[in-house]
Amino acid sequence: MKPADKKAYDKDYAQAKKTGKPFFPYAIYKDTVIAGLTVIAIIVLAITIRVEVGEPVNPATTDFIPRPEWYFYFAFELLKIFANQNVLTPVIMATFMVPNILIILLVVWPFIDRGPERRIWKRPFALGLTVIVTGLLCYTTWLGANSPAGVASQGLPVSGLDEPATKGMAVYMANGCGSCHMVAGVGAPGPGPDLTNEGAKGWDNAKMIAWLKAPKAPMPSYASLPPQELEDLSTFLNGLGTKYK
Amino acid sequence: MTTKDIGPKNPVQKGTEATIDYVDERSGIKTGTRWFLFRNIPAGTSWFQTLGFTAMVVFGMQAITGIILAMYYVPDTKGGAYQSIEYITNEVTWGWLVRGMHKWGASVMIIVVFLHMARVFIWGAYKYPRELTWVTGSFLLLLTMFMGLTGYLLVWDQKAYWATVVAVNIFASAPIVGPYIGDILRAGPEFGPATLSRFYSIHMLVIPGAIATFIGLHLYFIVRLGISEPPWSKRRLRIERDEEDARRAAAREKAKALPGSVNYPASWPVEAKEGAR
Ligand code: HEM
Repeated sequence: MKPADKKAYDKDYAQAKKTGKPFFPYAIYKDTVIAGLTVIAIIVLAITIRVEVGEPVNPATTDFIPRPEWYFYFAFELLKIFANQNVLTPVIMATFMVPNILIILLVVWPFIDRGPERRIWKRPFALGLTVIVTGLLCYTTWLGANSPAGVASQGLPVSGLDEPATKGMAVYMANGCGSCHMVAGVGAPGPGPDLTNEGAKGWDNAKMIAWLKAPKAPMPSYASLPPQELEDLSTFLNGLGTKYK
Repeated sequence: MTTKDIGPKNPVQKGTEATIDYVDERSGIKTGTRWFLFRNIPAGTSWFQTLGFTAMVVFGMQAITGIILAMYYVPDTKGGAYQSIEYITNEVTWGWLVRGMHKWGASVMIIVVFLHMARVFIWGAYKYPRELTWVTGSFLLLLTMFMGLTGYLLVWDQKAYWATVVAVNIFASAPIVGPYIGDILRAGPEFGPATLSRFYSIHMLVIPGAIATFIGLHLYFIVRLGISEPPWSKRRLRIERDEEDARRAAAREKAKALPGSVNYPASWPVEAKEGAR
């Protein structure tokens, strides 16, 4: 805003205040009504939709799907959009660039939009942004809420397993890989990629073990697994879709 | 002498008044409160301007229910955390209600804060002189989200555990500082007992402290600058109409001064308006 605009605003606001009303009771009463209704709504929700106690933490089972709270669904969905990393959309885009740019934009917004106009219909860019951002948040939250729940099972519908691959599959199940990955329709549809045809990449076990020990985020590191388990797991993964279908 | 006491004052009332006067003399609390309550705000202040206060009330409710939960919660990964949540939910009197209110309160607070921010954005209420109010507010939004993230792990169930593993890995993937952030959040290279107690202290000490501080700053700016007027308040609309009329009148004068150009477009509404007054 130019100094003249600031001065005009200050003068106008002083006028508004002079012809205004006292904070108490005019604002306080509205505040109390809405805040009171909100607290009542929370109590009603707490009574009608009871909290549950979930399954205790057990890294050795797979019959669960990791779900963040609903207000992080949008972030999870963003992650899925960028999950199949390639040159154009490396994972760093989803996990670092995009969120940080959005956060910085949020914080510094008043220093970007400095025009004196406050009426929304005279600020088409701000209006468009409101509609797009709100729409996108609602849509991605809805997507997250409706993303197909991962199918849990005691094993994977994969045949042709030899001795090390059978052990490898047990390691896969025991470490919750299926909570982020899907194999032949079993497991969670993200954030990790579908591993049904993992073998088609033609990796050798050394390469796979190196990945498992130091994967790209958000996948956790499995460096703490015993070497034999890593070996079996890699044999299993490297044959998926080729040897074991 | 203007007034006259009718009989001796009730000693309790006398004591109370004396105490209030004593405190006010030293703190100015009476004057300050009176100024705060009876200062003027623009007349058109709307229902949408109640959402910030509502967010504050919900935060207060979260603090109270959170303190009650903390009386029973045990941040122990070897079954203690999970059992204490079970105990709160199934055994403690009203425990299920307190936990339910805390959990629903978190969701409602996110919604209320978002709606509050949308109101501020749509009204352009972040513009001069309220830029720093917005900046402190945006930190409040981020802190509120972090509250949700850290609280989710505490129940130590499967869903929460794995979702948090993924979330922490996302932080750890940041270039350069990422690995350090990951180690700080996990309290080491792996998820374990230290991670849970770290999340517990972040959730109930660090972030609430930060939120309280930022609410304080936020409120300081709001009270100092005054709550903004709706951009379409009756007063504003009247001013705009008068300005518009003045502009048209001036244009008409100018047109009259130029002979031979008195051809107004048919849609020109000024004459009609003038007639209606
Ligand atoms: C915990 C979260 C928050 C609390 C408790 C809070 C509290 C408040 C309160 C009590 C007001 C007074 C007017 C009203 O109620 O609308 C207010 C105004 C304001 N808030 Fe917040 N707020 C929060 C989050 C935010 C966020 C996320 C933003 C924006 C990024 C923001 C920006 C503002 C601005 C610019 C004003 C001044 C608006 C005006 O004067 O019209 N606040 N806030």
